[in-house]
Amino acid sequence: MTVPLRVRALLIAGAAALLLVAFSHDRFWLQFLGKAMITCIFAMSLDLLVGVTGLVSLAHASFFGIAAYLLAGLSNRFGFVNPLLTLPLCLAGAALLALAIGWLSLRASGVYFIMVTLAFTQMLHYFFNDAPGFGGSDGLYVNQRPQIGPLDFSNRTASYLAIWTALVLVYLFLSRILRAPFGHVLAGIRGNEQRMLSLGYPIGRYKLVAFVLAGSLAGLAGYLDATLYGFVNPAQFSWRQSGVLLMTVLLGGKGTLYGPVLGALLLTFVEHYGEQFTSHYNALIGALIIAVVLFLPGGLAGLLRSARD
Amino acid sequence: MTEVLLEADGLSRSFGALTAVDAVSLRFMGGEVHAIIGPNGAGKSTFLNLLSGELRASAGRISFKGQDVSRATPDRISRLGVGRSYQTAKIFGELSCAECVWLAAQSRERTSMRFFRPAEMYPEIALRADRALQACGLQDRRLRLARELSYGEQRQLELGMILATGPQLLLLDEPLAGLSHGEALSVVALLREVSRDRALVLVEHDMDAVFSIAHRVTVLVGGRVLETGTPGQIRASAAVREAYLGTEQP
Amino acid sequence: MTLSLFALQLLNGVEYGLLLFLVASGLTLVFGILGVLNFAHGSFYMLGAYLAYWFAERTGSLLLAMLIGLPLMVLLGLFVERFAIARLYARDHLSQVLLTYGLVLLFNELQRSLFGNEVHGVATPPLLAFRIPLGDQAWPAYRVLTAFACLAVAAAMRQVILRTRFGMRVRAGASNAEMVEALGIDVRRIFSSLFAAGAALAALAGMLAAPLTTVYPGMGEDILIVSFVVVVIGGIGSIKGAFIGALLVGLSDTFGKVLLPGFSSAIVYALMAAVLVFRPRGLLGQPA
Repeated sequence: MTVPLRVRALLIAGAAALLLVAFSHDRFWLQFLGKAMITCIFAMSLDLLVGVTGLVSLAHASFFGIAAYLLAGLSNRFGFVNPLLTLPLCLAGAALLALAIGWLSLRASGVYFIMVTLAFTQMLHYFFNDAPGFGGSDGLYVNQRPQIGPLDFSNRTASYLAIWTALVLVYLFLSRILRAPFGHVLAGIRGNEQRMLSLGYPIGRYKLVAFVLAGSLAGLAGYLDATLYGFVNPAQFSWRQSGVLLMTVLLGGKGTLYGPVLGALLLTFVEHYGEQFTSHYNALIGALIIAVVLFLPGGLAGLLRSARD
Repeated sequence: MTEVLLEADGLSRSFGALTAVDAVSLRFMGGEVHAIIGPNGAGKSTFLNLLSGELRASAGRISFKGQDVSRATPDRISRLGVGRSYQTAKIFGELSCAECVWLAAQSRERTSMRFFRPAEMYPEIALRADRALQACGLQDRRLRLARELSYGEQRQLELGMILATGPQLLLLDEPLAGLSHGEALSVVALLREVSRDRALVLVEHDMDAVFSIAHRVTVLVGGRVLETGTPGQIRASAAVREAYLGTEQP
Repeated sequence: MTLSLFALQLLNGVEYGLLLFLVASGLTLVFGILGVLNFAHGSFYMLGAYLAYWFAERTGSLLLAMLIGLPLMVLLGLFVERFAIARLYARDHLSQVLLTYGLVLLFNELQRSLFGNEVHGVATPPLLAFRIPLGDQAWPAYRVLTAFACLAVAAAMRQVILRTRFGMRVRAGASNAEMVEALGIDVRRIFSSLFAAGAALAALAGMLAAPLTTVYPGMGEDILIVSFVVVVIGGIGSIKGAFIGALLVGLSDTFGKVLLPGFSSAIVYALMAAVLVFRPRGLLGQPA
């Protein structure tokens, strides 16, 4: 899918603006926008499954959470602080979990796939909430944030820049993939699975690879989240986490990659200020989700596209 | 040269108490157009689904060029060189014609697990796709979304997609259904073109078309083979006429 | 484990399974026939439980609470179907998941505003507040009632679906809604009644379960996930499968809690994983 010129301009301007914020040293904005960018990565990774391939997965929170907890574990148990060591390990953990959950879930089709992904995520939620040694419902602190040479990621600016770099790289990476043969196959799977099979594509394999790829990127988001906040908790595996992320993808415009980025940014603002605005905050989000499904199924990206016509 | 491309041996398929396909044994030769006709409910589509691997047979064997494919998945059968069209054209509605054909052409690559080079940089795929678009006559519609095409054009597109996979044998399920007379004529012409160096297995109700391009015709009734012969033999057969009960006089 | 303890757990497991069946069957009916995956199904269970608590507190009778609450839930089901679910019939899975999830959030907020965040106990009806001795154990009489109530509902459901004209229309609608419409039968009516019935089933289960599980904010989500597991284990679109799946889950969960206390919740998921590996279409689902 070609990105419209005005959107491309918007994205570059946005990236530049976000980069400038890094030098503001403003505590609040660094953390707030850092979180927003992490959500952008998280949302794009889900879009690969939902928007591009047509697989509605509720398991994404699992991979985010496992990578975060792995970082906490590696740091607290083994004292590993070098991100060159912890990042690959955490990503590998997320990838392996995605392989296991993906392989099992993809054996079910249609709505059953969706149910199974939710069930497995809930299982992990209960595990990290109840099993001893994982901090229970309070979660865990990451004793030592990643640190390599002079770069200490407990420093907000350093974290922020790392997140910014990751966001840009992930966007470019996924854009590349979409234009490659692999991306075309995923689009075909979304279009008509039966036709893809009768064209000779072993679609099961491609779905699994997409699932693992998406899960690994979700793990990256989780790793960055644990780095930014220095804290992990079972709520990261919650159903709500997956549900709101799914909404972000739809709100932004599924399948476009840049749509979910916009959706994530918007939602981070809504989440933050909504909580201050009303105590019936969940009803607000619920109403928003319903409104988007009924009235804006094409999302913000759809709006941007029709605005240029 | 006529070799046996696809062979069904005692093929049966039941759904509970209903036997849709009953011990059908047929041979499909290279370079031949073999039509399968019969009254509604005769099991023709089910039979095609068995051949394409989309349904598992309850009994019997299928072999392609001597290889047993009775338990092969649809994608494996496609890769062996079999193309399949459906009663309602299965295309990618949200993609353009060019993209639809591209996906079909790309399927012949050794693998599509390629992540970094944009697809356009694979000239072999582009060539295959282009040729297929030309063959099915849709070049000027190449940028149109598939769902915007007319019904007849969608059928052409589907044929183009199958051709892009370079098949030796095509399984076609009522390719002329729902087409206007003019559209049907162009599709028949296309099929005639396509059949020159390929085998076609054609399930159809349009008798004119069947008799104008088929080399051999099989009549299926109640899931069983009633008769197989040349179009002339089938036309003259009393048994066949009786089977149709005067609803469709060949 | 003594024989009576075994018998007790067996009965508990069956009873839990029957409650699960009530919830899971509603879920299966709705997406088997209406084609909609309804995440708010658990909310109906939760609301049923809260209504039972609220009316029971005020009238002193759980039975009266159920008699008042159930019609209310049917009305709610009809309302939700008319204004939300009906818009989902032709739409993709993502839209269905998200819209019904939005409903979950709304219902949660509704529950919170009306009933607060605390956990509430519901008293067992005094008539049934005794235990039936079972060797050296004893089984609460209320659970006997619950089990029988669920069985009665299951039997009634079977009768309706297999023997009545409405059931015939439902089954016809499941296989070919367009055809049914062409025959002049109002598919819309069938769909809304079916959805309301599904909501009522979930609510009834919630009401019956209220004295046993207490009434708490997250109960809708919890039961929904377990229903999903039941449906995946039991099989695609099969009510019989939902029954078997529910009993399996009820029994393994109950025995799991007793035999492997730390891992009890994992057992149910392990069961689901095993079904996915060996019979991906479920125990009673049709093979491809």
